Amino acid sequence: MTVQITFDSSWQEELLNRITNDGPWGNWELYKLANEVEKHTLIPQFEGLQAPKHLSQLTPLPHQLEVAKQVVENMNGKAILADEVGLGKTIEAGLVLKEYMIRGLVKKALILVPASLVSQWEMELNTKFFIPAVAQKKSYVWERCDVVVSSIDTAKRNPHRDIISQQSYDMVIIDEAHKLKNSKTKNYEFVQNLKKKFCLLLTATPIQNRVSEIFNLVSLLKPGHLGSESAFFQKYKKDARSIDDDEHLRELVNKVMIRNRREDTGIEWTKRYVETLPIEFTNEERELYDSIQMLKENSSETISSPFSLMTLQREACSSREAVYYTLKNMLKRQETPSSAFEERIAAIIKKVEAVTKNSKAEKTLELIKKIDDKVIVFTEYRATQLYLQWFLQQHGITSVPFRGGFKRGKKDWMRELFEKRAQVLIATEAGGEGINLQFCNHIINFDLPWNPMRLEQRIGRIHRLGQEKDVMIYNFAIKDTVEDHILKLLYEKINLFEKVIGDLDDILTKLDFGKVEDHLVDIFSKSASEGEMKIKMENFTSMIQFAEELREGDGHAATGNS
Amino acid sequence: MQQQEIHDFLLRYFQSNNCELVDSRSGFMTVQLTEEMDKELMNRPFYWHYLEKTGGIPNPMQLTLITNQQEVHDDIKGEIIHFGSPRLHQIFASTKKLAGYIRLYEDRQGAPGTQTPLLPWLCLNTKISYQCDRKRDVYQSIGLQLINGRMVTDFHDHLLQLPLTPKIPDFAFTLSPLIMPKSGITRIENMLRTNLSDEDHTWAEEAKQRWKKDLQLLDHFYKDVVEDTESYEIEKQALREQFEPKINISVINGGIFYLTDNAI
Repeated sequence: MTVQITFDSSWQEELLNRITNDGPWGNWELYKLANEVEKHTLIPQFEGLQAPKHLSQLTPLPHQLEVAKQVVENMNGKAILADEVGLGKTIEAGLVLKEYMIRGLVKKALILVPASLVSQWEMELNTKFFIPAVAQKKSYVWERCDVVVSSIDTAKRNPHRDIISQQSYDMVIIDEAHKLKNSKTKNYEFVQNLKKKFCLLLTATPIQNRVSEIFNLVSLLKPGHLGSESAFFQKYKKDARSIDDDEHLRELVNKVMIRNRREDTGIEWTKRYVETLPIEFTNEERELYDSIQMLKENSSETISSPFSLMTLQREACSSREAVYYTLKNMLKRQETPSSAFEERIAAIIKKVEAVTKNSKAEKTLELIKKIDDKVIVFTEYRATQLYLQWFLQQHGITSVPFRGGFKRGKKDWMRELFEKRAQVLIATEAGGEGINLQFCNHIINFDLPWNPMRLEQRIGRIHRLGQEKDVMIYNFAIKDTVEDHILKLLYEKINLFEKVIGDLDDILTKLDFGKVEDHLVDIFSKSASEGEMKIKMENFTSMIQFAEELREGDGHAATGNS
Repeated sequence: MQQQEIHDFLLRYFQSNNCELVDSRSGFMTVQLTEEMDKELMNRPFYWHYLEKTGGIPNPMQLTLITNQQEVHDDIKGEIIHFGSPRLHQIFASTKKLAGYIRLYEDRQGAPGTQTPLLPWLCLNTKISYQCDRKRDVYQSIGLQLINGRMVTDFHDHLLQLPLTPKIPDFAFTLSPLIMPKSGITRIENMLRTNLSDEDHTWAEEAKQRWKKDLQLLDHFYKDVVEDTESYEIEKQALREQFEPKINISVINGGIFYLTDNAI
C-alpha cells in the first residue's frame, strides 16, 4: 500500500537564498536548542498520552487515564464524559486539555461550569495541571487570557456574550452538560454558536436514552453529523426511549460517550454505613406537631395547598424556629386575615413558645461529642440552621454555616474554616452542591429531603475519590410523624442510601418508567393527603422492585461503553 | 520536560539572544528584553510602529517567568511557565524560527604553510510525521557530504562532538561543493522517500478501516436525506481530514557545515 508523502520544500528556497546572500545565519546555541525542543515535543508513538510524563506530582487513576486516551485517540477531542458522580471527571477533562496543549493543538480554551465550581476548577487546573486558567472576573479576560473559567450564566449575558462570540476557541469544556439536553434553551443556543475545534461535555447523569437528547448533544459536538433534524426524527421517533435497539445509534453513542461506573473502576471504594436514629418528641414538641393539624379544618382561607401543611409538619420535626418563621410569613401573606385564622396561628405560636427543648438538637450534640471528629449537619431550613449554630456554640462546639446562596469566595472561605478551624459544618439544602469535603466522613441528616437526588448529592460531597475512610451517615427521624413515613417508605424500602441514584434511573428508563425524580415530585407535591401519598409511595416502591427483578436476569446492559 | 529543564532552556534561550538577566534565582527569572526580543515575543506592533513614527526612545519590556511556584515568594509577579503553556510554545516556535539556517566551520587551525582543507556538508534535521486520526513523529538528522555524496544519519549528534565556529578559522580553506545544495536536498528527500515507502504501513491500513466504518455510519444517517447534500459533503470532508493517512516530512533546521576530512 502506498501512503502519500509530502516534503516541505519551503525551507530549501530560503536556504538557497541565504547562500546567495551570504547569510544571515543562525546562532549555534539556538540551533542546538531548536533541535532539543523538537525532540521534546515529538510524539513518539501513535498510542499513549504525553501529559502524564509532564505531571509528575499527579497520579491519575487508571480509568481516568483510559478516558483521556480514548478521547484523544479515538474520539478526536469531541466527547461526552459521563462518569458517575465522584469518579473525577475534572481530572479526565484536565488531562485531555493538557494533552492537547502539549501537542500545541489547543491554545485558547473556554471552560463553562456552575458558578459554585468556578474557583475550584481554576485551582485544580493551575495546581494539578499547571494550566494557567483564569476565572473570569473582568470582561477583558475573555480576550486577554488563553484559558478562561466562567459560569455559563455569566458567559451567555451581554456584554460577555458578544465578546465571546468574537473568539475562536480551540477547546470548550462544559461541566454539568445535562442541562443542554434541550435544544430550545438559551444555554443550548449559546453553546451551539461557540466557535470551537474540540469539545468536552461533562455530565453525571447518563443520557436518558432518549433519541432527542442524543441528537441534541451529538449535534453540539459534531454539527451536521446526524443529517437533518427532521429526517433524523422521522427515522427514530422523537420520543422513543430506547436507542438500544438500533445498532447504528448505539455505535454512535459509543463513539462520542464514555461512562464509567463505580464498579467498573476497580477502585476499592470506602463503604457507606447508614444508621437511622428514631427520636422521641418531648410532650411540648408533640403538642406543637399535632396542633398543625388544626389548620386543616378551616377550608376557606388558611393554607392553600396540602403541601404547605405538610411543609409545616416537616418543619415541626426540625425545629420550632422553622415553624415560627413559616407561620409569620403566612400571616404576612394574608392581607386581611380573618380573626379565626389569626387565632389559630396564635394558638400554634403559643405551642411554639411552650417548646423548651429540641430533641433532635440534643441528639446531635450527643452524637457530635461521641464522633469527636469533623461532622456535616444537613438541614432543609434556614431557621434550623441558625438555631443549631447558636445551640452548638452554647455547648462549646465551633461550627460554620454553608448555603447555596453564598458567593463563591465565601463558600471557599467557609470550606477552609471548616477544614482548619471548626468541627461542624451546618449546611442547608442548596449548599449540598458544588463543594467537596472529602476530609470529613460523618454526615448527620438532621431532616431528610424528599427528593433522593438531593440526598445523593449530600452524600456525594464526602463519598468521592479522595475519601479514605468509610462514610457514616446518620438519619434522624421523629417517631410517628410524616418524617418517619417518608423515611420508611422511601429510603428503607428501596435501599436508597446504599444505592447510587443513577443506577435507579438506569433501571427505570430501561423499562420506560420515567425518572425517579419526576415520580417523587408527583408523589410529594401532588398528593392531597398523607394517605394518598402513602399509596402512591407503595406503588412506586413496588414498581422499582419489579424493575429490579426484571433486570437481574438482564445483566448490566444499559448505557455505557462496550 | 521537567521544570528544571525548562528553566535551563529559558536561560539559554535568553542568553543566546543577548538578553540581560536582571534577576535569576531558583524558580524564576527576570530578563530585560532587547528591542528585537520585545518585538519577537511581546506582540505589541502598535507600540513599535508608534515609536518609529515619533522617533521616541525605545523601552523594551522586562519579562518575569516563574518555573517553580513553590520556591518563589508571593510578591514576585510573573508568568507561570509549564510544559504546554502558550508562552513556552511561543518561545519554542521562536527558537526554531531564529535558528532555521546555519553555516559553521570546524574550529581546527592549520599552521602557516599547512593550510587545513574543510569539506562542505549539507545538513537537514527533519521531523517525519505519520498522520491519520492519530499521530507519530520521528526525528531524523541527515548529513550529505557535497563532494563525494556520502550520507550520514544522526548527523546532528556527530556535530555536537565537534568544535564549531561561525568564522572560518585561520589557515583553513573551504573546498567548493561538487553537488549543489539544491540537488543535495533532492538527494536527501529521495533517500527519505525510498526508506519510508519500504516501511510497514499497517498503521495506515488500520486507519483506513476506521475511516471506512465512520463513513458507513455517516452514510446511514444521511440515507434518507435528499436535500441536505452540502452538510453531508462537509462531514465527509471532515472525516477525510481526520483519518486519511499521510506522511509529512518537515525540516526543523539545517545548513552548511565545513568540516575536516576525518571529522565524521
